[in-house]
Formats: sequence, structure tokens, C-alpha cells
Amino acid sequence: MRLELVAYTPNIETMIATSMLITTSGAQPGTLYDRLLNRPGKVKEVVGRAEAQHGNILEHNRLVWMLEATDGEVLEATLDTSYLTFTRLDGNRWLLSGNLRAAIEYAQEKKTPLTEAIAASVKRVAPDIRFLEHEER
Amino acid sequence: MNVRLLAHTPYELLRERFPTLGWRQLLPHLAYTFSVEKISRACSHQLVRHRAASFSQQSQRYITVKRLAERVVTPPTVDDSTFRGLVEKASDAYQTLVDSGVPKEDARYVLPNATETSLLVTMTGSALFHFYGLRLCNRAQWEIRSLADAMLARCKASEPEVFDNAGPYCYMLGRCPEGRFTCGEMAEAVERYRP
Repeated sequence: MRLELVAYTPNIETMIATSMLITTSGAQPGTLYDRLLNRPGKVKEVVGRAEAQHGNILEHNRLVWMLEATDGEVLEATLDTSYLTFTRLDGNRWLLSGNLRAAIEYAQEKKTPLTEAIAASVKRVAPDIRFLEHEER
Repeated sequence: MNVRLLAHTPYELLRERFPTLGWRQLLPHLAYTFSVEKISRACSHQLVRHRAASFSQQSQRYITVKRLAERVVTPPTVDDSTFRGLVEKASDAYQTLVDSGVPKEDARYVLPNATETSLLVTMTGSALFHFYGLRLCNRAQWEIRSLADAMLARCKASEPEVFDNAGPYCYMLGRCPEGRFTCGEMAEAVERYRP
């Protein structure tokens, strides 16, 4: 099994912070996003407070991977989660995508080479979110 | 209403990396995040019925609605002065409840569907095409049709290779799926969305 992150929505943590602040802010979402783009320290602080039960804040993005895996490994993954999308490229190569929430929840539920690789991608694109911390203890 | 495309998955990068896949096969792997500002709650109720999407919306539980009369969407079919008068009454009722200590989450029950709201919306390319198919139809309600038009314009400006293919279902299918409810103006609708 080999997983390569090939593309993702830019500024994922800025969008998470925007999504968190929208609920209680009278400012417009676009204005909040623009302000936060210039304030990485604020983004880090807000994202660090994120709570897992409000998972929708993790859905405003998409990560796209190229997966090399056997049919059995792909079948197992498709049975495990409904929220990742698979397209066969050829032979054992697949295009795989999902949002951060789907990626994190799958990585929390099960420990396999695929979920460990997904968790590594999550840490790369959103290093300040803490939902996977318990995995490290 | 103000609509911005804030972020999206880079289509060009994926197309170059996977040249054997066409735009249609890439659609489920793409996602688009919009800032949708100052639409009515009536419109956002319709928007959130598209379940294959993600939403983060301003909450009336936490945000006090101030100067309601300046923060409503007025339908073109109603007399403006009559409408304003009714909104003023709702505004007074809301303020009376808030001033008497009723929590905002309960006082908001008297607010009208016209009250403005803003939200983040994210859809995959596939979900967006379905949304456009339904909500750009002449039979869709005017405000959500206007919202869909604004969202499509932003997508076309960003990725015309993909979104020049999007429009109401009559444009995308080459036939009207509305059956006996058809508007009978398919040719004009198709022409409107042709690049």
C-alpha cells in the first residue's frame, strides 16, 4: 500500500478557523477569511480550540490522494467508510479523496497502513488540529 | 446578496497529473467553498436541503439581530411599504423579548424568514452540478436561482473548462426533466447558459 497526497484545498486551517468564528460573529464569512489569512497566529489559536463534536468545521476542504493498493485493501476501505471517494485509475492505482472530517474519523476508528498514511496527510495540511493526539499517547 | 468563491481544490493540477481522467470523472474529487452573504433565511432553508454539502452558518442563538429593518431580504412581489411595516412589528416584538430577558435563542422565534443570514457552503463538483441542475431551472424560487447563478458565475470564471458544462438540467441533459411542470422555455434557458 502506498498513499501520496497529490492535491488539497489551500489554507485549510484558515477555513477551519473561519468556520468556527462564523457561528458567533456578525462579520461576513468572506471578511473573516480575509482577515485570518493575514493572522496565522490567530488561526493557530482558534484551531487549537476546535472541538471534535462540531465536525462540520472540518468539512470545508478536500484532500486528494493517489493510492496504490490491492483490490482487497480498497474493498476493505470502502466497507469501512462511506465518506471517501474512490476512482480507479488503472490496475492497482486509485484516486482517493475526502474532506478532513472523513479522513480524521476514519483514522480515529481504525489503525491500518492506509489510515496511518491518511493521518500523516492530515498532520501535514492541518498541523494545529488536535483530534489525532490520542493516537500518539 | 454577495457571493465569493473562497477556495477550491486545484482542478488544473489534477488534470495534468491524471490526463486519462476527464473533468466529469474528477468532479467528485473537487470541492468548492463559497462565502454566501446576506441571503434570507427562507433561501438558506432551501440551500441546506442539499444534504451532500457542508454548511457553517451564523447562529441566531448567539448573534443578536440588530436593526432588523435594514437586515431583511424583500421579495420583488410584495409592496415595500406594507412589508416594511410588518418587519418593524417583528423587530419590535424581538427587541421586547430580548429586553425582557428572554434568551436570544427563544426571542428569535418571532423573526421573519426574510431575516438576512450568511454562511460558508462547500460542495463537491458533483453536488454542485446537481445543485445547478435543480436551482437554475426556471421553476426554482427567484432568490435561490439568483444565488445559484452567482455561484456558477464564480465557478465559470475560475474553471471554465469544467463549469461551462453546468446549467439547469435542461441545458445539461438536452431535455427538460420537469414533465408536465415544464416552463416551456427550454430553448431560451439553454441559450442563457451556453458559453
